[in-house]
Amino acid sequence: MVSTVQNTDVKQKDVGQAVVVAVSFAAVFEAEPGDARSGYRLGVALPLLQVLQKVNERLLEENPAEHQLFDIILITTDSWQQQQSFSIINSTRRHGLEVSRFCFSKEEDFIESLMQNNVQLFLTTDGNEALQATQQGVPSALLDKNLASCPSEQLRVLFCEDAIIQPHAGSTAASKKSAQQSFLAQLGQIRQKFGMFNSPVCFTLVTSRGGKDSCCSTLKSLRALGVSVDEAYCLGGAPRGPFLSLLRPHLLLSDGFTQLDG
Amino acid sequence: MVKMSLDPMQVMSGQVKELKRSPSSNGDTRGSWEEKEEFDPNQLDLTVKPKTPKPENAVTVAVSSRVLFRTEREQKVFEQKGVEEYLRYQIEHENEPFAPGPAFAFVKALETVNSRLRELYPQSEELFDIVLVTYNHAHVGIRLINTINHHNLFIERFCMTGGSSPIGYLKAWHTNLYLSADAEKVREALGEGIAAATMFMLEKMTEVSESQLRVAFDGDAVLFSDESERIFKTHGLDKFFEHEKENEDRLLDHGPLKGFLEALGKLQKKFYAKGQRLDCPIRTYLVTARSAASSGIRALKTLRAWGLEIDEALFLAGAPKGPMLEKIRPHIYFDDQMFHVEGAAEMGTIAAHVPYGIAQKYNSQHKMSTGK
Repeated sequence: MVSTVQNTDVKQKDVGQAVVVAVSFAAVFEAEPGDARSGYRLGVALPLLQVLQKVNERLLEENPAEHQLFDIILITTDSWQQQQSFSIINSTRRHGLEVSRFCFSKEEDFIESLMQNNVQLFLTTDGNEALQATQQGVPSALLDKNLASCPSEQLRVLFCEDAIIQPHAGSTAASKKSAQQSFLAQLGQIRQKFGMFNSPVCFTLVTSRGGKDSCCSTLKSLRALGVSVDEAYCLGGAPRGPFLSLLRPHLLLSDGFTQLDG
Repeated sequence: MVKMSLDPMQVMSGQVKELKRSPSSNGDTRGSWEEKEEFDPNQLDLTVKPKTPKPENAVTVAVSSRVLFRTEREQKVFEQKGVEEYLRYQIEHENEPFAPGPAFAFVKALETVNSRLRELYPQSEELFDIVLVTYNHAHVGIRLINTINHHNLFIERFCMTGGSSPIGYLKAWHTNLYLSADAEKVREALGEGIAAATMFMLEKMTEVSESQLRVAFDGDAVLFSDESERIFKTHGLDKFFEHEKENEDRLLDHGPLKGFLEALGKLQKKFYAKGQRLDCPIRTYLVTARSAASSGIRALKTLRAWGLEIDEALFLAGAPKGPMLEKIRPHIYFDDQMFHVEGAAEMGTIAAHVPYGIAQKYNSQHKMSTGK
């Protein structure tokens, strides 16, 4: 069973045109030790949510009638958390998070809730959830504490060389591919609304394996989807760690977006 | 006065360092930050491309696209019409390769040395590794990659920072030498302890060897610190000679390019170890205004104490450097004074400016184009 609660503090977005990003509750709030009345501490997703809001602000500055905005919804399958719905909604308000809807569902229905809400990107700290969602055709990415942790004025999205699924047989693969490509295309469109300098969105490509030619073909594939990459790093086998800590992305998209953990 | 031992310093071991990896923490929480696999040569395509070395094992030379290639036309578009038009222009001309720039011959020579090293030591990672580091936007990336392929350059690594400072990336690459057209970036790199020099577009370039890499260095404020140069600039030549004589047995402090000379020496020794001293594809030169009989002695003693061999030391005793450099025909010559860099360039020598030390206060307005 899926239930959705609208956040009346936040203006609802045009679901047809917005880019719906669902974030798991656990990524946004960490329960304080002790009792629930003390509220929740902010989790690893916070810098990302804040910067998505900044991008929305800049989009509206460019065009006050803009509908292609990020629409953030919070999702949880934890029944205990659902009992705390009032306190969750309160915490959201208190921290000024622009979450437009809260979705509560049973664990077995959570994919359904993603579909019902037209989610284009699902963010979680739970590897299993991410895997499940991706397998069912909802692009998802893992958040961890190594990603950007400071407030920032610019959404930094990092593509790894396997960010684009290469075509192969199988209907799940095809639907996976088209959902992922349509999400990338949307990101590309949002980026195009800003100029080269002072953009609130920055796309970076990092290719770890493979040489310049594989990097070149990834640049071309992304370009064909409408994604113009701002920065590109071809590591040719050098370890990624030092570069990732310099790049500090908010989002790391790879291999159809479920992050492989080696 | 400290009695200086004239025994050469310990020669650096030619062993390939084992890459130390921190052991995996328990559980899967490691995330994607560290590659667990070694670089797998089986992933290379079947045309046998040599494997790229681990950055810390190689002598990494980071080159900016503006010195590796000629990009003046594009720079003009950028300056006159702005960044959007510049990027549009680049994409439009994506399949037109750039022409070689001032650092091109040097990079080709590095690759020649690499082929020779691979013949002698097929498994070794002690090679030159060239990384293209540019603060160009990735839109230009495809054109740069096409150009690299057109000229048959073996460059498999690059950073296009889209405007952010490349300095952090230089460190991540364990950069041994950074060449750029932008003096500010070069100064920043020097400030971070990375050997760096500014290169300029040359109107005329004399032919250089295709079989032997030749690297020439000025002494003071390049290989050595600028301490003696300070004396010269503030108190004049006589005081300089006096000071050098008094301090003959005291080592000069090191300068920004000492580490690079050291790296070259380490590779040279690999050729000597296989009986190729006479046929060594790396040759180094010191071209200094010091005098052989007097102030030059301190320089030589210092080099010897550092365990560094330099193949030819040319003491000009103040004579112009141009004609000497024209005879040497280095692939690159490092000097801290624009006056000498310009003089060398007039005779077609590829000279690079090291903006370090006291001479920067005295540098005259140089009329050279800064490679834009």
